[in-house]
Amino acid sequence: MAEAVMGREVARRPPSRWVQLKATLGAWGFMSPAAVLVLVFFFLPVIILFVISLTDLSSSNFSDPLTFVALDNYLRLFRDRFFPKILGNTLFYVALTLSCFNVGMALVLALLTTHISRRVGFFFRLIWLLPRITPSVIYILMWRRIAHQPPFGLINQLLGPFGVEPQYWLFEHPWLFVIMVNGFVGASFGLILFSSAIEAIPKDLITAAKVDGASTWQIIRDITLPQIRWPLLFVTTYQTLSLLTSFEYILLLTEGGPGLYTTEVWALTAYKRALKTYFGHNQWGYGAAWGFVLVIIGIAMSIIYLRVFRFGELVQEPKIDVL
Amino acid sequence: MKVELENLTKRWGNVVGADSMNLDIQDAEFAAFLGPSGCGKTTTLLMVAGIYKPTEGHIRFDGQVVNQVAPKDRHIGMVFQSYALYPHMSVFQNISYPLKLKKVPKDEMQKRAQRVADMMGIGHLMERKPAQLSGGQQQRVALGRALVKEPQLLLFDEPLSNLDARLRLSMRGEIKRLQMELGITSIYVTHDQVEAMTMADRVAVMKDGKLQTYASPDELYDRPSTLFIGGFVGNPPMNLLKVEVSRENGDFHARREGLDLVVPPDRGEKAAGKGKVILGIRPEDLTLAERGTGGEIYVVEPLGRDDLINVRIGEASVHVLADPALGLRIGQSVRLEFNTRKVQFFDPATEQSLLWA
Amino acid sequence: MAATTFETGTPVGVRRLLGRALPYVVLVVSISPIVLGYAWLVIATFSYRTEGLFPIDAEGNIGGWTLRNWEFLTDPAIWRVTLNSFVLAVGMVVGVGFVSSMAAYSLSRMNFSGRKGFLSLTLILHAFPSVTLLIAIFFVLNFLSKIPGIGSGFGYNTVGGVALVMISLDLPLGIWLMKGFFDNLSWDMERAALIDGASRFRVWWEIIIPLIKPGLAALAIFNFLSGWSAFLIPFTFTVGTRVANLPVYMRQLISDTAPTNWNMIAAVGMFQLIPVLIFFVFTQEMLLSVYAGGAKGGT
Ligand SMILES: Nc1ncnc2c1ncn2[C@@H]1O[C@H](COP(=O)(O)OP(=O)(O)OP(=O)(O)O)[C@@H](O)[C@H]1O
Ligand SMILES: [Mg+2]
Repeated sequence: MAEAVMGREVARRPPSRWVQLKATLGAWGFMSPAAVLVLVFFFLPVIILFVISLTDLSSSNFSDPLTFVALDNYLRLFRDRFFPKILGNTLFYVALTLSCFNVGMALVLALLTTHISRRVGFFFRLIWLLPRITPSVIYILMWRRIAHQPPFGLINQLLGPFGVEPQYWLFEHPWLFVIMVNGFVGASFGLILFSSAIEAIPKDLITAAKVDGASTWQIIRDITLPQIRWPLLFVTTYQTLSLLTSFEYILLLTEGGPGLYTTEVWALTAYKRALKTYFGHNQWGYGAAWGFVLVIIGIAMSIIYLRVFRFGELVQEPKIDVL
Repeated sequence: MKVELENLTKRWGNVVGADSMNLDIQDAEFAAFLGPSGCGKTTTLLMVAGIYKPTEGHIRFDGQVVNQVAPKDRHIGMVFQSYALYPHMSVFQNISYPLKLKKVPKDEMQKRAQRVADMMGIGHLMERKPAQLSGGQQQRVALGRALVKEPQLLLFDEPLSNLDARLRLSMRGEIKRLQMELGITSIYVTHDQVEAMTMADRVAVMKDGKLQTYASPDELYDRPSTLFIGGFVGNPPMNLLKVEVSRENGDFHARREGLDLVVPPDRGEKAAGKGKVILGIRPEDLTLAERGTGGEIYVVEPLGRDDLINVRIGEASVHVLADPALGLRIGQSVRLEFNTRKVQFFDPATEQSLLWA
Repeated sequence: MAATTFETGTPVGVRRLLGRALPYVVLVVSISPIVLGYAWLVIATFSYRTEGLFPIDAEGNIGGWTLRNWEFLTDPAIWRVTLNSFVLAVGMVVGVGFVSSMAAYSLSRMNFSGRKGFLSLTLILHAFPSVTLLIAIFFVLNFLSKIPGIGSGFGYNTVGGVALVMISLDLPLGIWLMKGFFDNLSWDMERAALIDGASRFRVWWEIIIPLIKPGLAALAIFNFLSGWSAFLIPFTFTVGTRVANLPVYMRQLISDTAPTNWNMIAAVGMFQLIPVLIFFVFTQEMLLSVYAGGAKGGT
């Protein structure tokens, strides 16, 4: 009897598999615009980049059929006369910007702005956000003026009375400014994350330490820093990757100069070789090889993040089964 | 509408929400799901609503399997503990939303929404937003929204637990009256046994995802089939004592240190010779008397109408309801009389009742 | 008793005062380049020329305020690039808002096969430095240019193409941010709507979207600003002034005109900064949190 009733039902209602499929299709209806864009502008480019890096494609043989040159571009890259220089520049740039600004300065500022009154601290953090939201072209314009030659430069005017030799700062000390320009933008990220982490430390902990007679420095070393180690690690790794692949500000500030490859970093090399050469000769294949190395590093490092910071565990299961 | 659950099971990996539930709810019946927090009441209700897909088993409405039917086609109305009103819509829009989705013509929609709102006593609040209503009013809107589409099954998930005690009492009566008037089959989830006992025709007691029993309130109270039900139903809870029952000279004696009760043969018989068993007796079946089992008062808790006193009998202790006028004090010696016609016996190993298994 | 009084005597008091002041001194010094930069920009905008922070007139003396730097506003070209900037910014707001709130909704609230995979992918892409793909995207856009119908609107050297690239590269961030907002919504409300008879699409559009307006607004502001200020992508994928946006136009002014008129460029910059500063002043708190949650790329 029950069997008969069920049989009738099954015949009338669509089978479960079909319902499942419908649900999946419906959900992918929501997903499809994002999925298509991700496919076209992330997936496809990774593949294209790899394929092109195996060819000698350039603006001079654009219309010819593709010639595959296997790993020639990669070999050429390592044999490039300026390869050691560029690699060194990149490491120098990442290490110094990261330690002095994105983490170092951010940490100092976070400690200071959480130490003083809330409102004033908030105000300073806000000012520090300005470089990040200022359009890059304008931001660089300001820095160029700050480091300009006499009589225009602001540094000369300010430090002149103290007996500092007037000079064209940007030309004399290009690295100083490359690092400062990027660092002033980069520091706000860590600053915001660190200060909210510091503010989240239970007040009792600090009160207890003070009662025990700890000095400010001891409190920072023994309580604050251990309590914000995860944000610290996160900012460090995340910004390493960002810095490694960033070049917009350098492109605008020095274009890798002054002179030959003085401040040229890896990502800028890839970009310039492939897309913006002085001579209008775009070596797409060769530039792609430079770029693809960064892509591999990027993919590897982002997967490592995902594992280390267990973002996957933030993901909750949906609490509705049906569509 | 008749609702049948057959082997209904919901699992998420290792977590079991509901475990092989078997239950028949008759047409126009008011069923309550009662159980402690986390026992799977909401899970079961959401499967009936079609929000969760059962891992195993079937749900039947009037004999038809509805496992694959979408929630909107199940002809149900549901009321949530959090009210789940749409905060950006007015009371009118909230109540008429189901009708709007059914493409009911404007003027009919207006009429039906107004009728339901008047029935719920919120007809004058139609233009307000939920945030401008009291908790009780919000719950009425939620109830109105569930009723407006004239469902064949009403589901309630702890609808009153966010209300204050007094409002809870009056809403309890109203929901019950509405359900009887409209004759809609209803499932009412609660962890408040008073709600379940006073409102429901039958109560399904659940524990750890399993259905313990499905019985009328009277039966639950007088004939608990498991130790869990005995302990869970009734407030203050049943006293449980380990005893040994033996037959002596035709009488059945339940004994432990400091306690020797003669129990009626029809009950004693089933517990005799089983070694240690658990004796259950409700506080209201114990009275302070001149004679009887001796003990010492350990705690006195005034409940208003009665005092709840905790009396030590040897190693054990029992709760007794007493008249506050007696002015009992801690440390005082008292004697207790047991209404032995009401004692329950449970097997300590299986936790099943020895009387009503 | 006497010892206590002695310890809080003057010398220690001065030291403590210094200790109090030190954080402020450090903080003020730290923001000085930012303040100086902005100060120069404002001064330069209204003067013939500047030496350091001083406006200088034709004779080389301090003074010489002028409005002539703003004459660029009469040039039709500036309005075309402003329009391009605006279209790009609005395109970002609408595109990222729409696409990411749809995707995030289904990732957060629906059970379907492929969900876990796409979620991890979103996470990876969120950390992934998308600027490394610009070279290859050049070819994708070139290819799109050749498709009739699409090409003229979304190919290489079109505002649509630039917008499409920028929307795509911002998607992982948008999806991740919106998903955070969806995750915090009540499940009961959505269940109630499904039981009331709504389809998932209607639940999304009529119930969920109105409830996450604050989140959408935050995302919109973020995207408006990044679209409005975008330089690298428009610079890479456009040529000439027809499809340039404000930053690219500014860059062309700097490098092309032989004797660069810095004060005029400062005025163009100021012009471009106006909406940015308006948002900055009125939505500070929101910006702080969004940039912390989502700051990506850059440095
Ligand atoms: N979506 C889910 N995913 C995983 N586990 C769940 C889910 N929903 C419920 N559970 C688990 O299933 C069990 C039963 O939960 P359920 O919500 O049905 O309890 P309940 O009886 O309604 O409790 P309460 O009285 O607190 O509302 C719990 O252990 C719960 O943690
Ligand atoms: Mg529940």
